[in-house]
Amino acid sequence: MSILSKILTLFRGAATEAGQSIVDQNAVRILDQEIRDAQNESIRAKDELARMMAQQKMSADKLQAKLDKKSEYEGHIQKLLGQGNQDLAREVATKVAQLESEIAGDQKDGASILTAVDKMRDALKAADRRIAGLQQQVDQVKVNESVLRSQSAIAARHSGQNAKLRTALDSLDRIKTRQAEQTAQIEAADQLAASEGDGDLEVRLAKAGMLPGSVSADDVLARYQTVSVTRQEPAQLPAPGSSAPAAVPASQSADKAG
Amino acid sequence: MLEMSLREPVLSPSLVQIKDYAAMTQPWTTPALFDALETHVSRERLPMKISLEPGSEPTIAISLPEHGDLAIHLAASGQQLFVSTPLCFGSQVRDRAAFNDACLRLNPVSPLSNIGLQSLDGEDVYMVFGEMSTRSPIANIVEEIGMLADNTLQAAHALQSFIQRA
Repeated sequence: MSILSKILTLFRGAATEAGQSIVDQNAVRILDQEIRDAQNESIRAKDELARMMAQQKMSADKLQAKLDKKSEYEGHIQKLLGQGNQDLAREVATKVAQLESEIAGDQKDGASILTAVDKMRDALKAADRRIAGLQQQVDQVKVNESVLRSQSAIAARHSGQNAKLRTALDSLDRIKTRQAEQTAQIEAADQLAASEGDGDLEVRLAKAGMLPGSVSADDVLARYQTVSVTRQEPAQLPAPGSSAPAAVPASQSADKAG
Repeated sequence: MLEMSLREPVLSPSLVQIKDYAAMTQPWTTPALFDALETHVSRERLPMKISLEPGSEPTIAISLPEHGDLAIHLAASGQQLFVSTPLCFGSQVRDRAAFNDACLRLNPVSPLSNIGLQSLDGEDVYMVFGEMSTRSPIANIVEEIGMLADNTLQAAHALQSFIQRA
C-alpha cells in the first residue's frame, strides 16, 4: 500500500472513532517512520550507485590498459616482421587476438554497467522527489491538525468548553444580522430626518400655519375674528379712554358697568 | 532581506513598504510571520485582529470584523504556508453526496481557494483553504487572507441551501 492510501485509510478509520483526532500522534509517528525508512533505502541505493560507478571506472581503466597493451603488441608485430622473426610475431599476434576478444567483451560489459548507472540515477532522483513530496504531505497533515485544534481552542475560549468551531456560516449569520441592524438604523435615521428636517410632518404643519413665519389665509381670518370679538367687549365698557388699568379684574369692571 | 530588516528603523516609509512586497530570501516561520504581520496590519491599518496561538505547531489566528468575524488560521509548514477557515460541519449537510458534488463544481470557479474535508474529534469539518510559498512577501499573504475570506463567504452563501441550521 502506498503511503498516500495509508493516510486516506487512517482518515477513514479515525473518522469513525468518536473522540479520536483525525490523525493521532501515533499515526503521524508511523508515517514519519515510513518516510525515514524510505530515506534510508534511498541512501542505501545511493551507496549502491556509488559502488557501481566505481566498478564502472575500474573496468574502464582495465579496458584502457588492455587497449594500450594491444597497440604496444601491434607495434612489436610490425618490428618483428621487419626483422623477419615470423615465429615470435605469430606468438604476439595470438596474444593480440586474445586481447581483442577480451576487449570486445569488456566493452559490452562496460556499456551495460553505464546504462545501469544511468537508470539507477534516474530512479534515485524520482525516489527523492517522492520522499520530499510525502514529507510535505505529512507536514501538511500535522499543520492542518494543529490549525483545527487551535480553531476549536479559540471557539472554546470564546463561548465555553463545549463550544464548536466557529464556521463561515456563523460569519454569514453575523453579517446578515449586522446588515439587518444597519438597515434598521438607516430606516430609523430616515424617519428621524423626516421629522427633523423638511419632512412630511413639517409640510403639513406649515400648511396648517402652525410654524412661525408661515401665515395661511385661515390664520389671517382667524386673527380678524378674534379682533372683532375683543372689540365687542370694550363696547360694553363705559368709555374707551377710561383710566382704569387694563388689568382690571373682570368682576370690578362688571361692577362699574352695573 | 535581513539587511533590510536590520536597517528598518532608519529606512524611509516607502522603503519599508517595498520590503513588504519583496519576495523573501528566507522562508517564514510561524512566529516570524506573526511579528511581521502584526507590524504590517498596524502600519496599514487593516481591519484584522491577529493573535499567535502557542503549541508544538504554533498557528496565527486572524479574525476579520468586516467578514462577520470570520476566523482564519495561518501556519507555516516546510515549504508551504497554509491558510484555512472552517466552512461548516459535515453533520450540518443534508445531502452529503450532492454537497460534495457542489463543492467540486465550485472549486474551479474560485481556484485560489480549495474546499476540503477534515475531521476533528471524529466530526467532519468542511474547510476552505489556500496554500502559498513560505517565501511569499507579506503583502501577498495579506491579499491571500482577504481573498480566502471573500471566497469562503461566497461559498457559504452559494452552499447555504444544502446546510441545515440548528
